[in-house]
Amino acid sequence: MHISNLKNEFYQPLIGNKILLLVHYDVDAVCACKILQYLFRSDHISYTLVPVRGVEELKYAFLSFCKEVKYVLFVNCGGTIDLIDTLEPENSIVFFVLDAHRPTDVCNVYSPDQVKLLVPRSDDEKIPHPSEIFRDESDEDDDDDDESGDEGDRQDRRRQKAEEAMRKRREKRQWEENRNHVLFSYTQYSYYGRSSAVVMYELAWRMSKDTNDLLWLAIVGATEQMLLAKVDYQRYVLETGFLQSHVQRLSHHSDNQSNEDDVGNILTGVKITFGKDLQLALYRHWTVEASLRYSRYSATKLRLWTLRGESKVQELLAEIGLPLVQSRQKFTSMNMILRKEFPESMEKLGEKYNMDRIMTATFFLQYGYRGRFCAFDFVYGVLALLESRAKDKSLSTCFMEALDSLSRSNKHVLEDGIEKCKTILVSIFKQVQSLLEMRQVISAGPFLYLVLQEGTLDVQLYSSPLCLGLLAQFALEAYVGSSRSKKAASQPLIASAPLDPEKGTCLLLGIPPVADESSNNFFGKAFEQAGERISARMNMDYFDTSIIQLKTEDRPKFLDALTSLLL
Amino acid sequence: MFGQKGLELIKELNRTPDVLPPFNDDVIRQVLEEMNALFEQNRMDLDKEKDANYAGVHVRHASLERNRRCLLAYLYNRINKIRQMRWEFGSIIPPEIKYNMCEPEVQWFNNYNKILATYMRGIGNKHGLNLTLDRQPPKELYIEVRCLEDYGEYEMDNGDVVTLRKGNMYLLPRGPCEQLIRQGILQHITD
Repeated sequence: MHISNLKNEFYQPLIGNKILLLVHYDVDAVCACKILQYLFRSDHISYTLVPVRGVEELKYAFLSFCKEVKYVLFVNCGGTIDLIDTLEPENSIVFFVLDAHRPTDVCNVYSPDQVKLLVPRSDDEKIPHPSEIFRDESDEDDDDDDESGDEGDRQDRRRQKAEEAMRKRREKRQWEENRNHVLFSYTQYSYYGRSSAVVMYELAWRMSKDTNDLLWLAIVGATEQMLLAKVDYQRYVLETGFLQSHVQRLSHHSDNQSNEDDVGNILTGVKITFGKDLQLALYRHWTVEASLRYSRYSATKLRLWTLRGESKVQELLAEIGLPLVQSRQKFTSMNMILRKEFPESMEKLGEKYNMDRIMTATFFLQYGYRGRFCAFDFVYGVLALLESRAKDKSLSTCFMEALDSLSRSNKHVLEDGIEKCKTILVSIFKQVQSLLEMRQVISAGPFLYLVLQEGTLDVQLYSSPLCLGLLAQFALEAYVGSSRSKKAASQPLIASAPLDPEKGTCLLLGIPPVADESSNNFFGKAFEQAGERISARMNMDYFDTSIIQLKTEDRPKFLDALTSLLL
Repeated sequence: MFGQKGLELIKELNRTPDVLPPFNDDVIRQVLEEMNALFEQNRMDLDKEKDANYAGVHVRHASLERNRRCLLAYLYNRINKIRQMRWEFGSIIPPEIKYNMCEPEVQWFNNYNKILATYMRGIGNKHGLNLTLDRQPPKELYIEVRCLEDYGEYEMDNGDVVTLRKGNMYLLPRGPCEQLIRQGILQHITD
């Protein structure tokens, strides 16, 4: 059931009760979780927070904690699976689902009271009508109660009943076929809805509990969706419009204060500004040259993995008027004038070098004298922290670190994350370079695929979906940019990397083609069907259905099955 | 030289400012013997009527006073440390530490316990208040804690049961968590 009035129907019942918070491992969920923690702390609502990565962990966490709580809140998880079926809760427990994954499972939508979805119903989702999916299984049995009547009559009636039964069976079959068809077209494409952090920010705003910190978290959540290509550019622009109105509203009263307090203002206040920024990853915390070379946008447009690309970078820098020495300096130690002019000169030259969308609308955060952060930087930093899995560092520690990094007093944690992200970006670039040089992005007819072999450099970095997703995107855009075939832009990509060498499993994910602006991903269903066809040993545990775990031995057969399916 | 043994006691306390070392019975006995010897010599010197060594008497008296000061400082500092332990650990001392205390110190501890308990009971119109709970004024009623080790079920004052598992985060009322934070099972998260 969809709820539209979040304050009364979701938040009010929670006061005075205990909740279980199940949060997914992504940046948007971390931001939404932080906003929720702030709200719960202010109202003294006891909660238990458990990070989960897949359906198994969700079930395990639920079973361990379900006896103590009355309300369970799912953040960015659980929307796409039938919750009541999977978890089998008692009737008194209520589920609140705040999931950006779509399509939402129909059982969750039409459950009368136990599952409540925290987003208003939208027509874009094209949720099927309940009569098309559910049907009363009332037994229309034809017991012959009346034995009376003579033979002829009874025969007649029996014939009539037989005809009716046949008609009913035919109807039922037709209805079932229609139902399957409707469900298939509904669940065919998986995509993302509104960012959970923004929804939570709206709730805080309606309760008049919003602050600049919460607004910044919402901004980071929305930016993540754009950066990881979960939503298309139009949706992102609309969201920034919405957030910008809040920025203006919240910064309005700080502007009214007199200027004599300026110094005090900067040190203690959080200032969020709206502006345009370059799509060069982390350029403010890195050197200009490195940022140009390793960001996905600039690297794919300038084709920096080739030798010609290198000379293009130097040409570009020369045209801007940036000396090579300066471009190799850390951005903060660059010449002041050059630093100020850099974004504008990049924008002017953007069209000449085929980089017309290099400037994007985004937000900046400033507190203290140092540290002007762009929303992109925050997303990269938190992403790197979530990915920093090491042998002795469990996933939940990474999650808690990511949570920590978002609070103002832990700036050093975020800066750590940004450093880690730099190594990740460098590694991704090198990987793409080697993939393209060795022509390892292979076309298998309807789609492209790349497989990372076990001995490759940094391969354990790609055993998590987020990093592999970034690599896949970079590789696809690079391939499209450098390939001569016209249909490369309309081909999707499947990327695979070894997951667990002992168990012999690998990670497989699919991303939609470059030319497809709507970022609808059909691989969820495709994987399911291909897996069924060859009865592969696969594990569809992740909430994003386009990511699966598969036994490495089954991989070639799986890809063949996919090829035949999609032809 | 006179007074060296007394200095040894002080040096021992200085070496380990956080831990209570075992009660150094030996050195104290030596110090007391030295003091006795000095006192006897002084008395003999003062009994003599002629050729009395008044300078020597002064020197010995000074070292007697020095020794006394050392002994008293040693005892006083130990008692202070024991008092701190009462406020940090509660009224029951772990046996390892008890082993380091001498008998009169143990008795002192018990008496201190009794006095403190009577005082705390009488605060607030005979209602009682446990002063050793919050050493610093608490900032909020509910605190965010992160669980560092698997603990299992934990029952709180109001009857609610919480399952504490490693890697999770909780928002719990302050009182029941203090004990676990001190034990190192929970970690208090401040924003």
